[in-house]
Amino acid sequence: MFINGIGRTKFGSLSKSLTGLVYEAMLGAIQDSPLEIQDIDVIIISNFLGGPLNGQLHLNSEVASLLPGMNIPIIRVETACASSSVALNQASYYLGKHKNIMIIGVEKMTGNTLIPPTEAIAMAGDCDLDKNNGLIFPAAYALVAACYMNQYGVDHDVLEKISYINHKNANLNPLAHFYHKEITYDMIRKSPMVSEPLNLFDCSPISDGAAVIIVSDRRYSDRDISVLSTQIATDSISLAERKDLTSFAATRVAARKAYGEAGIGPRDLSIIEVHDCFTISELVALEDLRICEPGQGAELVYNEDITLKGRIPVNTDGGLKANGHPIGATGLAQIYEIVTQLRQEAGKRQVDDPEFGLAQNIGGVGGTCGITILEG
Amino acid sequence: MVNYCEKCDKYWNQEIRTCIFCGGETRTISESVYRVLSSTKVHVPSKGNENVPYFVYLLEDKHGQKVIRKSDHHYQIGDEVNLDAAVVARYAVGVIGSGLMGTQIAEYLVQMGYPVILKTRDPGNVEGIISKIRKRLSKRLQEQEVEECLENLVITTDYADLSDVDIIIEASKEDLDVKKDVFAELSGVCKTTTIFATNSSSLSIDALAAVTDRPEQFIGLHFFNPVHRMDLIEVVVGSNTSDETKKFAINLAHDLKKQPILVKNSPGFIVNRLLLPQINEAIRLLGDGIASKEDIDSAVKLGLNHPMGPFELADFIGLDICLSILEVLHAGLGDDHFEPAPLLREMVEEGKLGYKSGEGFYTY
Repeated sequence: MFINGIGRTKFGSLSKSLTGLVYEAMLGAIQDSPLEIQDIDVIIISNFLGGPLNGQLHLNSEVASLLPGMNIPIIRVETACASSSVALNQASYYLGKHKNIMIIGVEKMTGNTLIPPTEAIAMAGDCDLDKNNGLIFPAAYALVAACYMNQYGVDHDVLEKISYINHKNANLNPLAHFYHKEITYDMIRKSPMVSEPLNLFDCSPISDGAAVIIVSDRRYSDRDISVLSTQIATDSISLAERKDLTSFAATRVAARKAYGEAGIGPRDLSIIEVHDCFTISELVALEDLRICEPGQGAELVYNEDITLKGRIPVNTDGGLKANGHPIGATGLAQIYEIVTQLRQEAGKRQVDDPEFGLAQNIGGVGGTCGITILEG
Repeated sequence: MVNYCEKCDKYWNQEIRTCIFCGGETRTISESVYRVLSSTKVHVPSKGNENVPYFVYLLEDKHGQKVIRKSDHHYQIGDEVNLDAAVVARYAVGVIGSGLMGTQIAEYLVQMGYPVILKTRDPGNVEGIISKIRKRLSKRLQEQEVEECLENLVITTDYADLSDVDIIIEASKEDLDVKKDVFAELSGVCKTTTIFATNSSSLSIDALAAVTDRPEQFIGLHFFNPVHRMDLIEVVVGSNTSDETKKFAINLAHDLKKQPILVKNSPGFIVNRLLLPQINEAIRLLGDGIASKEDIDSAVKLGLNHPMGPFELADFIGLDICLSILEVLHAGLGDDHFEPAPLLREMVEEGKLGYKSGEGFYTY
């Protein structure tokens, strides 16, 4: 499977409608790809909250309205925040039968919404076991953070550093939600408490945005990027059903399969994109992806191994924290960034000669995980 | 309004500038004349479509582009309809006063498509008013819709600019003398057909009508805060208000998607005559040490099923406003029951006016 076209909108609080965002990202991907829109055989659209926030479902037919007369198969995939990496994964199964697949990720979270976004996002947790007991999304990750900090004896300081590094990367990414926002450690430390121990700067923002990837069964140009593996794995949805909160089994399982299929290991990776919906998730991801041993994530952060000039740059686009988190588009935005880096087209945030990149995209609190490994 | 790519012969209802099929620029086509292709009469009410039966039409323009439209009018298949002409001719409205209610009424009117001229006293206010209205509209409308609304808004400091409006909605300070001055001034400025309405929450409609040159065209239109969310308008009928003026006010309220209720001129009309004694009594309960303000609020919210308790609501309305309405009720109805509670007077004298001053019964 080869990626030959990528497109995305800016992330942030945007005036465009859901379909307006989709069209902008589709147009960008078609303009980037050697293919024409008529060459696309199947479209998979990823979206999480079109129903509860925008009052709009049947999004595959909404996409058909943007492509009048094409009448091709279009389907929607929803696995909470992992929707778009799972959509990419599903594309791999279509490629036996079709040549060219377009994958769209989109979320419209600001403006008029049917219910408040926090309430809608909580639908990613178990309604009976979690949500009805007050475990909104930040609270769930706060429990993960509390368990992690207690088990490994680290304090909030390391999370502040993760937040800071992500914001610094976003300052080099003109499409990022917080491209223009200058951050200091003082701002991070003094930000309002959300759910202890997590404060505002531990949380990714509510963003609008869309990202589109075009994949094909063959290589069309030397700008194409090879998908070595796409794997998904799941875990029980409620935190009450987990043995351990300091690690996500879905990430470990999907990563193990992906490394096996790609024929590479964590040490071969040049760059990674991890799902830092909350800063603690980045720390857990470094360990679950075996970039380091359990409990050693903080050391990696303090040593600046994860910065643009470090041993293994993480979230070069700013991550969910600062690039933004338009939920249904997030996994594809990670792919967009790795493709851009592997093509050496990342401008000011370009890392030196990257060869392999990995994206980790989580749904809920580790209930779903999509892992994608790309080669330049 | 549709966007069209001539080369590919593709149409979009979405705002699309570049054709994804050829990369060329699209152009916007705006038609107003449509032919009725098909219709259905709907008998089942739904949210947003409470009034049944109504008609839904499938219309087609000369390019073959179709739109769906709802209407109360009955058309035959093949009829030509002009959607621009079908839009109700909106009255031009003059709003007096740029305080809390004046700006909200103006904001809601422009949102509903009415041209509005807002009169303020100080030219220094103009920028602030526009940015306040833009900010509030942005919370519920798309950017482009906000700009379209604002095109309908003119702010002036000169009464002469109101000479040609169809109706005045006065929302200046809740003070009989101030309002009398405003209407006396307007009488000399506005065309003879202009209807005068006041948003006064308690003052006598007849006393205000008496200073104008058109008491039969004088009426009360009492909006509630926040205007865009509160569905009631108290239509206050004075002793000289004509039936035409009454009808005009009721139609206007309906067109604004509000529920009008009719009430004869009397102190506090309906809502405030019922509300303020309750707030006053709650303050007395508190003053007498019978219960805490939190518990009184809880009792009213949970026991009477009100969305806000009396102290929360009093802070929201403004304690100075509460006091002045109670004084009007007391003076007008002569019942000691309406005499403002001593604690309320003290708080107003101390400058604790509620939400707007940062402190009332609660701190904000």
